[in-house]
Amino acid sequence: MKLLEVRGVAKSFGSLMAVNRVDLSVDEGEILGVIGPNGAGKSTLFNLIAGLERPSAGGVHFRGRSIAGLGADAVCRLGIAKTFQIPLLFPRLTVAENVLVAALYGGGAGLREGRRQAEEWLAFVGLAHKARMLAETLSVAERRRADLARALATGAPLVLLDENMAGLNQTEVEAVVALLRRVRERGRSLVVTEHIMRAILGLVDRVAVLNYGEKIAEGRPADVMGDPTVVKAYLGEAGV
Amino acid sequence: MPRLRPTKAVLFAIAALVVLLLLPLAVGPYPVRLATVIFMWAALAGSWNLLAGYAGAVDLGPVVYYGLGAFATAALMLRAGLPFPISVVLSGGVAMLIAFAVGTPTLRLRGAYFAIGTLALAESAKQLALAWDRLTRFPLTGGSAGISLPLSAGYLLFYYVMLVLMAGVTAAALTLGVSRFGYGLRAIGENDRLAEASGVDIHRLKRRVYVGSALAVALTGGTAGYWLSYINAAEVFSASVSFQMVVMALLGGLGTPFGPVLGAAFLTLASEILGTRSPYYYLIAIGAVIVALSLFLPSGLSGLARQWRGRHPRGTA
Repeated sequence: MKLLEVRGVAKSFGSLMAVNRVDLSVDEGEILGVIGPNGAGKSTLFNLIAGLERPSAGGVHFRGRSIAGLGADAVCRLGIAKTFQIPLLFPRLTVAENVLVAALYGGGAGLREGRRQAEEWLAFVGLAHKARMLAETLSVAERRRADLARALATGAPLVLLDENMAGLNQTEVEAVVALLRRVRERGRSLVVTEHIMRAILGLVDRVAVLNYGEKIAEGRPADVMGDPTVVKAYLGEAGV
Repeated sequence: MPRLRPTKAVLFAIAALVVLLLLPLAVGPYPVRLATVIFMWAALAGSWNLLAGYAGAVDLGPVVYYGLGAFATAALMLRAGLPFPISVVLSGGVAMLIAFAVGTPTLRLRGAYFAIGTLALAESAKQLALAWDRLTRFPLTGGSAGISLPLSAGYLLFYYVMLVLMAGVTAAALTLGVSRFGYGLRAIGENDRLAEASGVDIHRLKRRVYVGSALAVALTGGTAGYWLSYINAAEVFSASVSFQMVVMALLGGLGTPFGPVLGAAFLTLASEILGTRSPYYYLIAIGAVIVALSLFLPSGLSGLARQWRGRHPRGTA
């Protein structure tokens, strides 16, 4: 059974088809990349999967169970966590408390166990030294790490990372890529969006390409990069 | 985790409670009555603070449960002949049921819409209470004339009941600082979308605290009605009761356990002192003080305490 299966999912905002009948699947332990130019519908697709938006059509199945139409909190407790493109935090809680909330509610831990997990995940992302700081004092790169720790602390086997590397420099990107590999080693599956392909090509097992809300290609990174439709969609973007 | 601070706060609260329990032995009736008023407002403002200060939902109609508590308690005493303690507890139960029914749809409203919705609800409740005797076959509210209750059992009873209510609400707020439920609520108050994405059932948590706060407000309203021994709908459902709760909580410090107590004490004492010295100008003076405090001390009186501790650190943990 697939871990996640998205079938013909669509979302329209008025006359704009943000996501247009997209199929997608993720296996256990897999890292799937979803790439596409800005506005291709990557974030909307993530929101549909995570229950933050309701699909206009189509189905989303997690471990064989239909989850389309469930609230984000229920989806999270079932096992899909998401980080945010603009990293959201609980600004006036401490960094540790940010992660604790996810362990308590997403992961169903008790206070003592939740605190232990929060500590562990903060150490994992390299933020243990910031645990007692208020979250609002973190830098952008630190916020992304805290957001990742929060998503991991929910215990969700599937984590959706929405442009987790945007705004980071080359060194920071490499550090995040290494970190995500270690996340997979811990048995989590990942879906990663990025509009800079280079950042994730070495990381992902498979990649799907979105353009104007439609999936235009899917396959192994090397094959997809040679696909003429993909090259066309990206024409004009530097670095391809 | 800041484990030391809550413990200190709890010790302080227990010490204060012991002093207040013994206070009537040391002072005369006037200070005891004044303290009762402060406790009442501290319980009310503290209940409002539980929802607004922790979960970030600004309720502008908490007076609904104050009025409801007052009339339900009066009805049970007058019509069913029940003693006060049973009546007030039952009216608290009624308030919880109504709060559950009301909270289920309204708590889905966010931000300003929730505030406006609850404000409108309180006004409707007032009109309903005023028209109740005309509309139904069970006269309860006495219309605009109001109703009188049997004369009450002496001021000490009210002192202790209000003290218990204030202590209960403050204890609840202290618990929210360190409990699982409290972390969930504070996460909602900080960022409800992220809380939801972290697995928090925001609607259920908010409703639980809304129902709990309605209980505390109704118990306070029921006690206040019996204490005053005369209630009418225009007064016990007045929006000014809601606003006073809001102002006291903000003055004292939103989202802090002792803020509402400080705010209630400050505003009650200020109007007591200024009101007797210069009856014509005291409302203007209080208005000016509120404006000044919100301009220069946005985190409230408990923020002042924190600042002072920050500047004069002694025995830091």
